[in-house]
Amino acid sequence: MLAQVLFSGLALGSIYGLVALGFAVVFKATDVFNFAQGMFVVCGAFFAVTAINLLDLPFPIAILFIILAAATLGVVIHILLIQPLAGRPMLSVIMLTIALSIALRAIVEILFGSQGRNLTTPLPTGIFLVGDVRISQLHLTAALVSWACMAAFGAFFRYTSIGLLMRATADGHEAAVVSGVNVNVMNRLAWAIGSTLAAVGGVFLGQLQLASTDIESIGLLALPAVVIGGMQSIPGAIIGGLLVGLIEQLSATYISPKSSDIMIYGLLLVILMVRPWGLFGQRELGRV
Amino acid sequence: MNMLEIEGLSVGYARKGLALESISLKVAKGGIVALLGANGAGKTTLIRAVSGLLSLHHGHVAAGSIRLAGQEVLGMPPHRLVRLGMGQVPEGRLVFKQLSVEDNLRVGAAILPRVAVGERMEAVYQLFPRLLERRTQAAGWLSGGEQQMLALGRALVASPTLLLVDELSLGLAPLIVQAIYKQLRVVGDTLGTSMLIVEQNARLALEFAESAYILDRGRIVFSGSAAEVAASETMKESYLGAKRSSAVVQGAPA
Amino acid sequence: MTDPSHTATTYRAARALRWIWVIVAVALLCYLPVLLTERSILGVRLSNMQLLNLGLSQINLMLIAMLGALSLNYLTGCAGLISIGHAGFYAVGAMTAAMTGSQLGWPFPLVLVSAGAAGAIAGLLAGLPSLRVRGLYFVLSTFAMHYIVAFAFLEYQFKAFDVVGIPYKTAAFGTLELNSPMRWYFFLLPVVALVYWGLRNSLRTREGRVMMAMRDHELATTSVGVDVRILRLKAFVLSSAIAGVAGALYAYYLTNLNSEAFNINFAIQFIAMIIIGGMGSLPGSLVGAAVWLLLPSIITGFASQASDSTGFVRLVLVEHKAQLVQLIFGALVILLLIFAPGGVAGMGRQLHNRLATWRGRR
Repeated sequence: MLAQVLFSGLALGSIYGLVALGFAVVFKATDVFNFAQGMFVVCGAFFAVTAINLLDLPFPIAILFIILAAATLGVVIHILLIQPLAGRPMLSVIMLTIALSIALRAIVEILFGSQGRNLTTPLPTGIFLVGDVRISQLHLTAALVSWACMAAFGAFFRYTSIGLLMRATADGHEAAVVSGVNVNVMNRLAWAIGSTLAAVGGVFLGQLQLASTDIESIGLLALPAVVIGGMQSIPGAIIGGLLVGLIEQLSATYISPKSSDIMIYGLLLVILMVRPWGLFGQRELGRV
Repeated sequence: MNMLEIEGLSVGYARKGLALESISLKVAKGGIVALLGANGAGKTTLIRAVSGLLSLHHGHVAAGSIRLAGQEVLGMPPHRLVRLGMGQVPEGRLVFKQLSVEDNLRVGAAILPRVAVGERMEAVYQLFPRLLERRTQAAGWLSGGEQQMLALGRALVASPTLLLVDELSLGLAPLIVQAIYKQLRVVGDTLGTSMLIVEQNARLALEFAESAYILDRGRIVFSGSAAEVAASETMKESYLGAKRSSAVVQGAPA
Repeated sequence: MTDPSHTATTYRAARALRWIWVIVAVALLCYLPVLLTERSILGVRLSNMQLLNLGLSQINLMLIAMLGALSLNYLTGCAGLISIGHAGFYAVGAMTAAMTGSQLGWPFPLVLVSAGAAGAIAGLLAGLPSLRVRGLYFVLSTFAMHYIVAFAFLEYQFKAFDVVGIPYKTAAFGTLELNSPMRWYFFLLPVVALVYWGLRNSLRTREGRVMMAMRDHELATTSVGVDVRILRLKAFVLSSAIAGVAGALYAYYLTNLNSEAFNINFAIQFIAMIIIGGMGSLPGSLVGAAVWLLLPSIITGFASQASDSTGFVRLVLVEHKAQLVQLIFGALVILLLIFAPGGVAGMGRQLHNRLATWRGRR
């Protein structure tokens, strides 16, 4: 039984890690704490509904559609909403992302109804047994894909020229400008990555549950994940996601179904009081 | 044609009024020009106006024109200016602290075609062998002098035609500063790079430069050859006098 | 040069004028509930649309919301403490009201006091992180607390009552029961006025001014000899006490509450209100709450007019009224943040300045 819970915890945690990674990329690059990341996850689920169930696109094309749609969403939001608020106090930007999530939620519900839709994909949904443990193929696929995406991003970030420029921009905004980096493009790229990773998470969460705006609160688990792991740390975000997934499943199974929220947010509170820069972050003076 | 031509430039900061008034300045092709003046005279503001960084610091151009090799560049975004050949070494060095020395240079080289990168990196390492020694270290761990070399190297790796240097000597030991200026002269001699050097250490700057402008409270109060400025005692005492005492203070180790 | 006697007369005239405005305003406010109940002025019947689809019930909810907006603005706009968990104090107040009112059967006034006290204690606890962390980390701590309080409410509801919700008794002062919207209105109006007046005066004291200064320049105020952290905590306690009372009023007004009422969406509404009204402006809080109230009503009005049209418009206006309201609300906040960060209050100030300059030139 424990192995079962650990498996689902890690599988879901991988998805959360992916969404948290997207969140961390945006935060590191543009210093924006994007409360709308939860809605980006929802949008991902509904991009999938549109592509697969409504437009009946062949699966590979559908994937492309989802990625392009999500990336475009991120870029457009950066250009229209985030860039105009450059240099404004953090509270204003946070409020903006909150208001954005309200508006997005309304748009999604107007377009797709508030009940939620079934998302059916060609992904395997069966179950196979490993000893006593029931491994859901969908969970496994979700975990594997999430890890693949995270690894791909890691490779991109570390080894490509553009990845280097992104790291440089995150390291020092003015230094990057002085060195000839087009920081606007870098920021847009960060937002595109953030929303795309969220969308991938949304596709899986949408299928595991139901494609509805209720998924937003699951997507928002990326926030405690990132803070617990360490806001400025990319590996921290991923580990934070895994931790959140594990805590969620463990508390839901062994304590009570509704207790996972309070366990996670309680831990968040403890971390904020004791070690605000997260488990893997670095203490930064005068940051906030 | 001059490398850099500034005419009638007036710059202001939000709610603080004009910081620069009607500045006119020229840097000849291959020339080395020093920009001198007391603290707060507006030297950094002028550099920011040229390199497009004003808006980042909440400033704006009220009037005037800036021409780079004959082309009007006022209002262009910084990343375009770099591609047009403008290299900048800002006040405070601004190296990428968490990136390695090599990565820092690579960022500067990002605008070059892939094939040219290796050769240019080589050239910078030859210019500053200390950087080669420390190539895998994170830039944040370097000493002040090494960081200055890195900032210079990062600007130079892209073979700029105009190099803007802001307060190179700040906080560095005189020996290191002299060594760096020596290497800058090499760059000037071999590549013909035009340079605009902002310096508080007037003596050093006048040794290095060919001509100089003195800025006082937002206006150019003197311009001429370096020799003229160095010779004029009144000039040095009125506008650069304070520097003599602080030049002694700058003997502090880097 | 104006001569002194002339200035004195103008000053006296201005004061007299202000008193006249106050009397007119009070008269209008007293007439409003009558207007909304009878739906006619001096015998002339008014349509729903003309009354902006408002009922007295909504005005009452708006008054309660004003308490929330005022307290949040006091905290965030004036003391500079960003809090996303404000709805949590509502929940605390509602829970306390359930415990003391529904379970223990205390009289209504005592219930309100207990709700305020509970809110204050909760505020003290919630404000403790502010002693250690600032800025973003503090916002997150309030975010975390919201979930914790929501969970507590849920548990309490299930254990002490049932799944459907917590029932509340009728509010009463001795034998005078608040059993009609009109009575609630005349109870709530002075409460809101009192809170507004109290907060405004608190900001005018020396401590209050230091607090507002510290919102912008923390370091400068530490040298004034006041412990800014204690001030902040005091602001938190006061703000959450008010919110606790508001929560109890909310519960009693609706007579039945379940945990769904305190979801994160509810918390966000208050933030939207103070942004629309203008952060740091107490009158702005009132405006923000009013907009929050008016918007759904106006949309509903358009919806009933559009019930003849077909297709997408009908779909949006009729079937997704609530979503449309949220969309406009969200878009409004976004637009204000980008173009008019001072909110309605800020725009009002700009207008006032322009008018003053224009008048000065004459």
